[in-house]
This record gives sequence, C-alpha cells and structure tokens, in this order.
Amino acid sequence: MNRKNFLSSVLTFGAVVPFSKYIDEEGGSSKPLIVPEYLKPGDIIGITCPAGYITLQEIQSAMQQVENWGFKIRIGDTVGKRDFTFGGTDEERIKDFQQMLDDDSIRAIMCARGGYGSVHIIDALKFRKFVLKPKWIIGFSDITVIHSHLSRNFNIASVHSKMCNSFPDDWAKAEQVQIDSILSIKQSLTGEKMKYLFPGNANNKTGITEGQLVGGNLKTIESLSGTKSDIETDGKILFVEDTGEYLYSIDRMFWNLKRTGKLSNLKALIIGGFKIKPDDAGEEFGKTLYEIILEKVQGLNYPVCFDFPVGHQKENYALKCGIRHRLNVTTDKCSLIEL
Amino acid sequence: MMIKVPPYLRKGDTVAVVCPAGYMPLQKAQTCIDVLKEWGYNVKTGKTLESSSQNYFSGTDDERLDDFQQMLDDDEVKAILCARGGYGISRIVDRIRFKKFRQHPKWIIGFSDVTVLHCHIYSNYKVSTLHAPMASAFNDEGYTNEFVLSLKNVLTGNKIKYEYAVNALNKKGEAAGELIGGNLSLLVHLMGTASDIKTKGKILFLEDVGEYLYHIDRMFVQLKRSGKLEKLAGLIIGGFSEMKDTERPFGKSVYEIISDSVKEFDYPICFGFPVSHGKENYALKTGTRYKLMVGKNKVALEE
Repeated sequence: MNRKNFLSSVLTFGAVVPFSKYIDEEGGSSKPLIVPEYLKPGDIIGITCPAGYITLQEIQSAMQQVENWGFKIRIGDTVGKRDFTFGGTDEERIKDFQQMLDDDSIRAIMCARGGYGSVHIIDALKFRKFVLKPKWIIGFSDITVIHSHLSRNFNIASVHSKMCNSFPDDWAKAEQVQIDSILSIKQSLTGEKMKYLFPGNANNKTGITEGQLVGGNLKTIESLSGTKSDIETDGKILFVEDTGEYLYSIDRMFWNLKRTGKLSNLKALIIGGFKIKPDDAGEEFGKTLYEIILEKVQGLNYPVCFDFPVGHQKENYALKCGIRHRLNVTTDKCSLIEL
Repeated sequence: MMIKVPPYLRKGDTVAVVCPAGYMPLQKAQTCIDVLKEWGYNVKTGKTLESSSQNYFSGTDDERLDDFQQMLDDDEVKAILCARGGYGISRIVDRIRFKKFRQHPKWIIGFSDVTVLHCHIYSNYKVSTLHAPMASAFNDEGYTNEFVLSLKNVLTGNKIKYEYAVNALNKKGEAAGELIGGNLSLLVHLMGTASDIKTKGKILFLEDVGEYLYHIDRMFVQLKRSGKLEKLAGLIIGGFSEMKDTERPFGKSVYEIISDSVKEFDYPICFGFPVSHGKENYALKTGTRYKLMVGKNKVALEE
C-alpha cells in the first residue's frame, strides 16, 4: 500500500513525462495511462521465465525470429533453469525478472512461456524504476497476473500475446494465422496501430464502443480476485479466454466476475477462445458457452462478441492492454481498432 | 455481533431435504431420509430431490431457488439438509431472501458447494450453519459411522469435542476463535463477492478434492495475497483427496504446499483433520467459538 501511494505521488509530480506519453482517461483508472516507448531496430528484448520452465533449445526459434525483426536478445538466467514445474526457484525468477525490469538497455521483456508461477513472484518485484522508465512486458495465460497487476497498480500498457514457446520451429511450414499472430507481436512493439477484422457470430450483442483494453486468462483473473492485482474493469473493454475448463467451472468463474461487479460497468466484453473440457458422463451441464455468458450480461447494455482470435490457439493476436481501442460488433463481422 | 445459533432439534422436529446444486435421484437419498426418521425427525423432501431436470442441475435456477426458499420460510422446518453439493448455489445465492431466516434461524447442513451458503450466511447474517456429511454419506452403512453420527450429535445440541492423531507438519499451539471455512475452491471463488468471509482472529478450516496441485498452490497464494491467512487464530487442514499433478510434476505433496505457504505464521496448524470429501467428515458448526489444541501427541477441537 505504501508503495502504491508513493508511486501515485511520484506520478502526480510528473517525473515520468520524459519517458512516456500520457493519455487522458474517461473514467476507469484514476492514474494516467503510461505507454512504454515503442521499439526501434537494435533495441534489446529480454527473455525470462517468471512461471514455467523452458530450455534454451526451446527458445531458439523465437530468438531467431526476433533477431530477424532487427532486435537484439538478452537471455535471462532463468532460461534453462528448472525447479520442478518452475523456471527456477522463486528467488531465481524474481532476480531475473527484476534485473530485466531495472536494466535500462532492455526495452521489452518477453516471458518465455506461461504455465504457473507469476503469482509467486509478483509481490516481490519492485516496479519503482520500471514505472519511471517503463518497458513492454509481453505474454499471456499465466502472465495475465503481470498484465493485471501493472494495469491495476500503475496503469501501464503491456502486450498480451504469444510467447517464445509458440514460435514455429519451421517458419515455412507454419500456418498463416500462426505467422500472422506472431508478426502481430512485432507490429505492436514497433508502434503500429493494431487493427483486427474478424468474423461475426450469431450470438454477438451488436454495438460500437471505445475503451481501454484489459483482460487475459479467465481462471487467472479469478485467482487474482480480492488481491492487490485484482483486475479493474469499470469503463473498459474486457477480453477473456481459457482452456481445459469444464463448462460448470467456466460458469462459476463468470459468476465470480459478475458477483464482484466486474461485468456491471464494462464498455464491451470480448470472448476469445475457450477450449472446453467435455462434461463427464451423467454430469451434462446443459448450457452452452454462449448461454453461460449471455445470461451473465442480460440487461447490461454493451456489445459482446464471441470467437475473438485470442487464446490458447494458433490464432492469438497481440493485444495492447491498457490502450484505447474501438470495437465494432455485428453478427456478421467485427473489428477491433487501436485508437 | 454475536453469532446466532439456531434452536437444536427435538424429536418430532422436521428436517427438509433439498438439492440446491447438482441433481440427485431420490433413491440415493433414501437411506438418509430413513435414518433421519429413525433419529426421530419428520422429513420433508423438496421438489428438487429427484427433479425432472435432464441436465447437471437438480432443476432450473428458479426451481432450486423456490424449493430452498420455501423450506427457509417454512416455520415447521427446523433444519435444511442439502442432499448433495456439486455446483450451482453460486447461481442462486444472491436471490435467496434471508429476512425470515434471520429472525427465525434454522440449521443449514452440507459441505462442498454448500460452502457458498456457509460463507454467505456467516458474513451477512451471522447465523451458525452446519458443515457436515450429506445424503450419500448415509449410504452403504455409512449412517453407523462416527462422522454421520456426529451430525446427529450436533443437531441435538451436544457440544463438539473431536480428538485425532498428529501429523508431522503440524505447528503446535493453542488457539481460540470462531470457526469458519469449507471447500477451498469455493472459498476463493467467493473472494470479492458479497459472500466473501473475513478471517481475522478466526480458526479457518479447509478441504478440497480433485484439484491439480498447482491449483491448490495458487489458491493458497490467493488467500495469502488477500490477507486471509496472516491474522488467523489457527488453521485446520482437512482432507485434500484425489489430487492431480501436471505432466511436469509440481514437486511437493499437497500438505507440503500448504505448510510452505503458511510457514511464516506462528499460529497453530494441524493437518489431516477429519473434514473431507471422503468418509472422514465430522460435523462442524460454523461461526461458533472453539478451542483448538495442537499438541505433541494429539490434536483436539472443542467447542
């Protein structure tokens, strides 16, 4: 709490002005949005493992691609480290991430993979220097912890996207959507305005709206409820995705969102990929994903779109969390455009 | 605010049996109904027991709500036994009207998904509820075991006193405080909602079933980060059965995960308390005061 107060007072004095641009908010977070500087050729991207472990071999493809884009790579100490499921002990992961946060020469931090473990280190990370000179944090799934924490406490933009473990080994054989998804990381980091056009869905609730983008993995969002990384959704466009969950569990998580007030004042709701675990025999849930979600937003007057290409799947486009977007939803086609 | 304890049951009192969450056929609750009658109670079954539902739930939200509400408001009913848990109370809890119940409290009995009711009622109405075995626990001669019998014992107003064996991970000491808790997954699911519980100065008990080890870890991190573990009077860890592991092993047993996540706290902690999804599941009154003694040779929980 003290740290939070300290930071907000620093921010009001405007110490961050030289390093970032301010965008005025219409509601939502009281702090001004901080957008890290976009990357230029030659800039360094750090690769670290705040959660699950990865081998050096497994990041080769990502390294090669990122270097092809004209960036340099700094490999963190946690790459190749393993403490059971984690990419090193908590202390090792904290140290590696902290070093990357504090090293001025590193302009973006790409999390090598998700898995589980970010929540073990988030409270130990010191963002004092990072807030003064922010950089892009890149990842999804378990990295939702970091996106939500940065958004909630500092209102700093970050990139929700694929990570090192999703880069194809053989670029020539990869599907176009996978290539496009990965290229969108580069585009978002270099300051291109993102523009996504995607098919509609008969279940969509139509409308046009604008707002800051927040979201990530639904299960992770629920697991942050009641903590100081809890996601703030008022006045924002919320996107969620998940994988491997039963319908009943998805329903229960949406009840958590609803009962904690996170669905009440949205600008829009974006539903990404949901890989559903089939019901056990005799335990048929009896409601579809559409029904589960639409009943939660009944009476709420904002657009809802299904099948947005974000999630644990090949089509998983980079989304700039914190940045304002315009969402246009029809049953026919949809667009999400960075403003 | 003092906890309100519903009147204990006398012979001839009526116990309602309902299904506010998952579906249950009447046949699976028959032994429970028969035994409740043998104990001297009248039994009123709700429409949600063996409902006409074709899916997971024991009726639509409205049907489950109406059934529960009716029993809640029925003066004749002195206790409501939830026949089973599963999932579904989160869907109706905000629509249950507790106005009459507050003035004339009665026992709400169950565990697992019924944790939603325990927490909701404790936080909002300060009425004691009963975390206890449900209908299926009576089956296969289950009604003769000490755990099902502990339900009868509590319902008739006898004071609770449980003693059981020690565990190497226990942290010794004595604690006194109101007892609250239930299923871990449900407890974290309620965080930030109107049913969320405050745990400061309380003895917290937890159990879970069928979760991945990393989920258990994450839920304990969530409890800790929300401040729910730091000011406890004591912690009771029940059964964590049928735990699953990921392809890349988590590397700790479930009790080690829990023990590690509370290692900086010096209140007493005991592992392996007979509260669980298995047979070992003592009836526990929530909200009332207990003394927990975690000793070298035994652990005791006493009202």
